[in-house]
Amino acid sequence: MLPALSQSVHGKPLVYFDNAATSQRPESVVEKWLSLVRGSNANIHRAVHKLAVDATEEYESTRDAVKEYINAASREEIIFTSGTTASINLVAFSYGESFVSEGDEIIVTEAEHHSNIVPWQMLCQRKGAVLKVLGVDDEGHLKIEDLPTLLTDRTKLVAVSQISNVLGIKNPVKEIVKTCHSIGCPVLVDGAQGIVHGGVDVQDLDCDFYAFSGHKLYAATGTGVLYGKKEWLDKMVPYQGGGEMIATVRFSGTTYAPLPEKFEAGTQNINSVPTFKPAIEFAELLQDKDIQEYSKQVSDYLYTALTSNPRVRLFGVPRGTEDKIALFSFCVDGAHHEDLALILDKLGVAVRSGQMCAEPLMDRFGVTGMLRASLAPYNTIEEAEYFIKSLERAVGMLI
Amino acid sequence: MISLEEAKKAVIDDFSMYDEWLDKYEYLIDLGKNLEPYPEEEKTEDRLIKGCQSRVWLNSRIEGGRLFFRADSDAIITKGIISLLIGVYSGRTPEEIAGDDFSFINEIGLKENLSPTRANGLVSMIETIKAIAKENSTILTAEDAAELAPLYDNVIMAIKQVYDPEIPVNVYDLGLIYELVINKKHEAFIKMTFTAPTCPMADEVLAEVQKSVADVPGITACNVELTFEPPWDQSMLSEEAKIELGMEDFDSSDQAS
Repeated sequence: MLPALSQSVHGKPLVYFDNAATSQRPESVVEKWLSLVRGSNANIHRAVHKLAVDATEEYESTRDAVKEYINAASREEIIFTSGTTASINLVAFSYGESFVSEGDEIIVTEAEHHSNIVPWQMLCQRKGAVLKVLGVDDEGHLKIEDLPTLLTDRTKLVAVSQISNVLGIKNPVKEIVKTCHSIGCPVLVDGAQGIVHGGVDVQDLDCDFYAFSGHKLYAATGTGVLYGKKEWLDKMVPYQGGGEMIATVRFSGTTYAPLPEKFEAGTQNINSVPTFKPAIEFAELLQDKDIQEYSKQVSDYLYTALTSNPRVRLFGVPRGTEDKIALFSFCVDGAHHEDLALILDKLGVAVRSGQMCAEPLMDRFGVTGMLRASLAPYNTIEEAEYFIKSLERAVGMLI
Repeated sequence: MISLEEAKKAVIDDFSMYDEWLDKYEYLIDLGKNLEPYPEEEKTEDRLIKGCQSRVWLNSRIEGGRLFFRADSDAIITKGIISLLIGVYSGRTPEEIAGDDFSFINEIGLKENLSPTRANGLVSMIETIKAIAKENSTILTAEDAAELAPLYDNVIMAIKQVYDPEIPVNVYDLGLIYELVINKKHEAFIKMTFTAPTCPMADEVLAEVQKSVADVPGITACNVELTFEPPWDQSMLSEEAKIELGMEDFDSSDQAS
């Protein structure tokens, strides 16, 4: 079902535990992409010929599928981008240009990916606004009790991840949205990890913006979504100018297309965006109760194995049984994360080492990097056991 | 000390003993563990090699015309790699290192078997070692020479601003400057003399030359050394100086200062 997983690396069967960076693609996604490239490759929205009509239908029906999947109120609220980073940059620019002025404040958290920090820093620099930071505690949970004091009448937006790519803790985003909305401050939720683990109902969550990537959700790379409430998107200036995003163009002045095209300038990723459809089907398949229970067993096994090792320091310690996903970032006392990752690679295990695009969080915990094992529901208990054994072997070599 | 080629061959031989990459890592880990300890106080930002995911510090000193390296890393395999490089290159002349192509690294297949981030780190380590060797090498490339030529002109102009207190001719045209070297770090080294060992103003003149040269834009430091070997005599005067002084009247025994 997932072609990439059946290969060997360095003569060992591949154990792919780097799903938080990108997941593997199921056959259905690969086939959808191939069929579009081979069969329906034409630019969308413009020409009247058959291929163009087919391509447009594929692309626009994907918008409906995504709208359904995250339960948006309307299809105009779904903007296709190249990924989470592009989605956040779009908001940081277009919302920033329209609503942020000198002396205003933006709040991010200490646990954010660089993609949910740097665009806001750039906005603040551009506008003379102030970036404020909500901290995390020693166990990796947001200090949510500090939020009300951070929020002021100058706060123009709060940007927070649904699940941190390092800590794997499900943040109380619903509570955050409620607190922020009580003073009229909108919230952007970075759903890069969250969309894969539990998904989202944007109307229930009531967030103002929700950003995610296709490639972590089993779809093709270079795809992403920005969900934005219509009331905001309508009031925001376009991000990029070009074809498709216009109504009329005159040298005396240009008017813009209505949503969602207003934010989709230029030729879109027409061969890849439609892979969201089989990807969503695959993600829904993985929501199956038995699969979920099995994944939980694998996750519990890893959690127990790692935390029972006195050399292991785990970052992102769960408080309940449901608040951590199968993502484990840790350090091993006396063994460098990079050495471990290198040896594990030769044993066929793919894990991530380093700062994981979250330098402020590394500083917060006083480490130069971590080792991260991040699982998908297709990972097995045998793989988890092999990983733990391989980790022990690697540690043995290094210490 | 074995030759550079022999040292490289020894590493290639060591590596070829192991078939499995895990065994090669064991070997590197061993090298890393046995690397001579690196002083904590030398783990400074300027000695940190850029481009490595793990942190690597490299320090060098030159002694008897040879470069000696010390290094450390917080990751043990990286430390093994740098130990291997040090083992091959430490104690060799800058010219020998700068002239080497480091291709033995490719022969042992190290680069391909590292993660891209670590391969970049290895490249950065090699580049740093090469840069240090080049900086310390006395061999000038055409670019080095082109860069240094105007500096030499300007330094000579600066020296010509300094006059012997008793003779109306500058110290350069008097022939008091025996040696002038500007290295690639743009540090000037001057060896000079006086017309006689008893010159009462010697210290002042030396200080003036030093300051005048150090003030030349682009010069980073100036070192002036006094020598009386060989002793000065009037044949060292430049043509301009001879004309200036009207050589037929000039008598060195009168003018000795």
